[in-house]
Amino acid sequence: MARLDQLKEPQRSHIAKLACPSFETTAWVSGPPLGRRRVSIISTAGLHRRGDRPFEGMTGDYRVIPGDIKAGDLVITHVSTNFDRTGFQQDWNIMFPLDRLRELAAEGIIGSVADYHYSFMGAADPALMEPAARNLAALLKGDRVDAALLIPV
Amino acid sequence: MGGLAHYLEAEGIPTTQISLIREHTEFIRPPRALWVPFELGRPLGAPDNPELQRRILLSALELLEAPAGPVLVDFPDEKIESVTDGLHEPEGWACPVSFALVPGDETDIEKMVSAFRREVTELRPWYDIGLERRGRTAVGNFDAISASELFIGYLLGRTLPASDTNLPFPVALRLASQDLKAFYFEAVIARPGATAPGSNAFNRWFWQETAVGKILKAVKERCLGESDKALRLAGTLLLVPMSQA
Repeated sequence: MARLDQLKEPQRSHIAKLACPSFETTAWVSGPPLGRRRVSIISTAGLHRRGDRPFEGMTGDYRVIPGDIKAGDLVITHVSTNFDRTGFQQDWNIMFPLDRLRELAAEGIIGSVADYHYSFMGAADPALMEPAARNLAALLKGDRVDAALLIPV
Repeated sequence: MGGLAHYLEAEGIPTTQISLIREHTEFIRPPRALWVPFELGRPLGAPDNPELQRRILLSALELLEAPAGPVLVDFPDEKIESVTDGLHEPEGWACPVSFALVPGDETDIEKMVSAFRREVTELRPWYDIGLERRGRTAVGNFDAISASELFIGYLLGRTLPASDTNLPFPVALRLASQDLKAFYFEAVIARPGATAPGSNAFNRWFWQETAVGKILKAVKERCLGESDKALRLAGTLLLVPMSQA
């Protein structure tokens, strides 16, 4: 559905006009086979632990989500009211597929699931996220993550 | 999303991602992306469909083994249309709750408020039962009573009502509106014989057939007339979806 021409107005124009950052080159880091990778989820759905600070505005910061979090402890405070949340209300895996990742790790298809996952609030300007994202890389390395799984909303 | 992939990869972390808006991903050119044909809010396709979620996840993760990039791949799925696409969802969902709406006069705030209170009272036991059964709620900051009193206080009062949170008032309004929506959804699907509506059917019902929809639209209108910039922004963008404005 989410090809631009399949969205309805006025949402189509709103999304089409969002400024996208441009990059002259694309960095490329290789790693071991999937069966040895350690995977962390990086969401832009404005997710966080119940009781953690809500996302209040268009800032580029992120929230930390511990890997042993339960579905009932994860909430959304993304600023947008234009994406569906009823899917998440039924099953958190539709935005934050931690149960699926745990299954893949148990089966040996991926190496392991990281101890920590993270969420930004994706309506923020990507340029505002850049400093936080570059710092986040060090945290991911500390957690021995060699596969960041980025999931939009 | 694609910007984050560039920043992380440049710092030495291999990334792969799901893409919802293909045109954006084509422009940003992140290292590895899987485009999926689902509506916004549903990157993993459909709730309670672990088999589909697993295939999407594996398709995204397998891009990590691509020899060179950037790669942008479309998720192949022959069964997608029946799964989740909001454009194809059945028209027939009828909410088992039928509220006696205030007839006609939508400007009568007090009648709207009492209809709203009746709705919340009627839905509350089903919300509680659903919560008990599933052990989980997506309601985050405002239970239904404090959320509704926040809106009612704002609509009836001359000044901004005090919120018992430390949140700025415009943020409280936005979070309370999402929490109320989650409350209504979770209550409605807990009723006997109820099936979960698709997102379009739920939105149509919530915004067009309930008192809460009218209340939130009245709150939006009031926000638009405020001098405070954050309240005006909430009114313009953050309370009522574009599809319902």
